[in-house]
Formats: sequence, C-alpha cells, structure tokens
Amino acid sequence: MIKKIKVTTAEKIIFYFLILLAIITFSTFVVIKNKCLFIKNHNPQDINFKKPNNIAILNAPCGNVIIELYPDISPNAVKRFKRLITSNAYKDIAFHRVIENKLIQAGDLEFGKKGSLDYGKIGTGKSGLGTIKSEIDNRFDYTKGSVGLARTFKNDTEDSQFFIILQDEPLFEGEYTPVGKVLYGLEILKKIKHQRHSEYILRPDFIISFEMLE
Amino acid sequence: MIINYMNLLRLILLVFIWITPVYGNSIYNLIKIPNLEIYEINTENRLKYFYAKSSFRLGVQKNIICENSNKKDLDDKYKSIYKNLNRYSYSFLKKINLKYIVLCENLSISGINTAGIPDNVMKTLILDIKFDQKYFERVIHHEVFHIINDQHKELFNENEWKKFNDLKFKYAKCSTCTENLGLDEYEKTKGFFTEYSKSTVSEDMAEVYSHIIYLNAEKIKQIRNLDGILNKKISYIENKIKKIDNSFIF
Repeated sequence: MIKKIKVTTAEKIIFYFLILLAIITFSTFVVIKNKCLFIKNHNPQDINFKKPNNIAILNAPCGNVIIELYPDISPNAVKRFKRLITSNAYKDIAFHRVIENKLIQAGDLEFGKKGSLDYGKIGTGKSGLGTIKSEIDNRFDYTKGSVGLARTFKNDTEDSQFFIILQDEPLFEGEYTPVGKVLYGLEILKKIKHQRHSEYILRPDFIISFEMLE
Repeated sequence: MIINYMNLLRLILLVFIWITPVYGNSIYNLIKIPNLEIYEINTENRLKYFYAKSSFRLGVQKNIICENSNKKDLDDKYKSIYKNLNRYSYSFLKKINLKYIVLCENLSISGINTAGIPDNVMKTLILDIKFDQKYFERVIHHEVFHIINDQHKELFNENEWKKFNDLKFKYAKCSTCTENLGLDEYEKTKGFFTEYSKSTVSEDMAEVYSHIIYLNAEKIKQIRNLDGILNKKISYIENKIKKIDNSFIF
C-alpha cells in the first residue's frame, strides 16, 4: 500500500514561489523585452491617400511610419528629401538623437550608417549634395508628428538630417524648415531606442527602409 | 589621498550624469537663456515674447543678470512693449535678425544697470521692464537699433558719422567710460539729442534712430530745421534703414 505523503505548507509556498518566478522570468524576457508588442503596424496599401505621390513610408524597428510631405510649404526641402528617399540613402541610417517623448533625429548619411557608425562625429555628417536654403517664411503649425529638416546653428545649412517631434513645439515655427507630418505611426517612433541620460544614443536603432509610396 | 578624492569626485559626477534625465527645453535650446517661459508667441509680426520665471545669469563670466517679475508688472509693460515693437513688420524683423523678446527686471551687465541687451546672433532682445518709465518706450527702439547696427555693420560707417560733428568733438572710448549717461532730450540739441548720445558713435546713432521713431513727424521736422548736424544724422539713419528695407515707414 502506497502511503500518501501530505504536502507541507512550506513546500506549497516554495512551489508557488517557483511558479511566480517562472512567470516573472517569462514576462521579462518575452513580453517586456519585446518593445514592439501591442504596437499597431500600419500597412500603407490598406489606406487611401489624397496625395499618394507625397506619401513616404519610414520603416522603423517596430513598423511603418507614414509621412505626408508638403511641397507647397517647402518646395526645395521636400525636393531634397524626396531625392534622398528615392535614392535609398536613408536605409540603415541611425536614429542618432532621441529625446524621450519629445524628438527623434536621423539622417546623418556620413557618420550614421550601420556598420560604420562614428560616435565622435555623428550628427555632423553631410550627404554630399550640399546644403539648401531654409524655408521658414510660410506659416506652419509644429504640432506633434511634424517632420522638419535639421540644421546647424545657422540658417541655410539644411542637408539630409531630419527630425520628427513627438510633442507640440510652437517655437519651431520660423526656425526649422518643415517637410511634412506623420499621418500614422507616431507610437512606433516612441519606441525608438532612447536613453534617459543622453540625447545621443549608444547602439541606436536604425531606419530599416525609407521609401516613397509611389 | 588626492587621487582618491579625485576618483570619488569623478564617480559622483558620473552618477549624477547617469541619473540626470534629459529634458529638452525648447526655449533654452533656441536662445540659450535659462528659466524662461512663453509669455506670448502668437503675434502679428511673429515676435515671440518670453518672461523670466526665475532670475538668470548669462555670459561666460555670468556677468549679465536679470530677475523675474510679477505678473501684474509684466501684463502692464507688455502692452507698451507690444505696441512699440508691433510697428516693425515680420520682413523687417527677419532682415535685422530679431525674433525673441525676453522680459525681466533689474537687468544689469557687470553690475551696471541697463535697459536692454540686444543679441542679433541669438535673435534676442532682453528688456528690463522696470527701466525708468519716462524713457522706456523710446529706449525699446534704441535697443532695436543696436540689433540693426550689429546685423548690418557694413552699412553704418563710424568715420562717416564722426564727420557730422564739430571737429573738436570726441566721443568716449565706450558707452560706460563716461559720466554722460543722461537720457533727457536737450532743449537746444546742438548735434545731439541727449547727453548719452555723446558717449559713443553707436549710442549716438541709436539715440538718433530712437528719436526718429518715437517723436512725431512734426517735431522731427522742427529739429531738422533748427539743427544742421542732427538733420544730416537723421538723413543718414533714414537712408541706411531704407537700404535694409525700402518699405520701412518712419
């Protein structure tokens, strides 16, 4: 006859503790580690756009960011931006400057390329196409999701770097050349790697692709 | 022992940097003045007005100091500042590189009180809203002229200007190297609007400019008829301003 062994309270506690530990471990490595979980990815093919030839799709680690470009507001800047997008120049370029919930910046083609990142110079690189003039005279509402061309301290130094703001920045009007606005995927930008203690990112996320819809 | 202290200091510094989160401050990023808040940014000529939420210090030696004001004082003074600055069009302000107005009180530079500090590079004019009310409105234009002058140095020739004066007259070496700081308008001008005009060429130009803007046309006409030197100085300033913006209305 097999004698039934009674489980003690201490054994029960240890058992429950182990289960809890397993759940925490699973959550940490699968759920929490996957920053893209619960983020909706938008498929541009499922959306009807009024001006499809001005739609650009930036593919970031968590999905697509769909941007409408405004050639009526900044014709030269949008022309430059489209040229870089269609030549695939932004592929594998770092989001090198990220301020949580405020701004992301990318587009350093010289020092921000995956595989040849230069942390000492990132943010100062050029495209090789030269700088263009600032287009800041037209009224533009810098609400969250606005995309603008970055520049140095001086005007007329815009090149390939761009930024997307994650909060309203009314003071940017008249300072930075606007090129467009994010229509879908702002939450995807919020998941781009940032650091609490620095604007410039160590081992940053990269643009997977950046293409025009048409 | 010293090395240990140094290492400890480094460690503390590193921990401090590590735990200090990055907060982007748009105003500071734009004009490099701390402790500012937006007062009004939706203006006709797109000037953006900020106020000091708490006192701030500027400059390499932190020798520029300005204090915060209470809301009532700000609201009162803003009306006259807005009225005076609103006469400048967006296109003119763009040409002279002025975009931001900082309102604070008890503004001083190296311990010397001043009505305003212009900075065309940062597109900023700091104004002391507690500056003597008697001169305040005119002084706003005086400071605007310094922005104009700094932005268009090539237009304003000091040697040409000096020739307008009596041959014996000499300016001081700097605006604070003299006791001639009075801002009251002379009854008999004799080539200068105020005592302060006699300090330096650029202050003289700024005084002429601010009087052209502030006084009514009839009064300026009178002065031109009575004072040959000021007549030449007024024409000089008017011509140079027209070169910057032909549509400028005095």
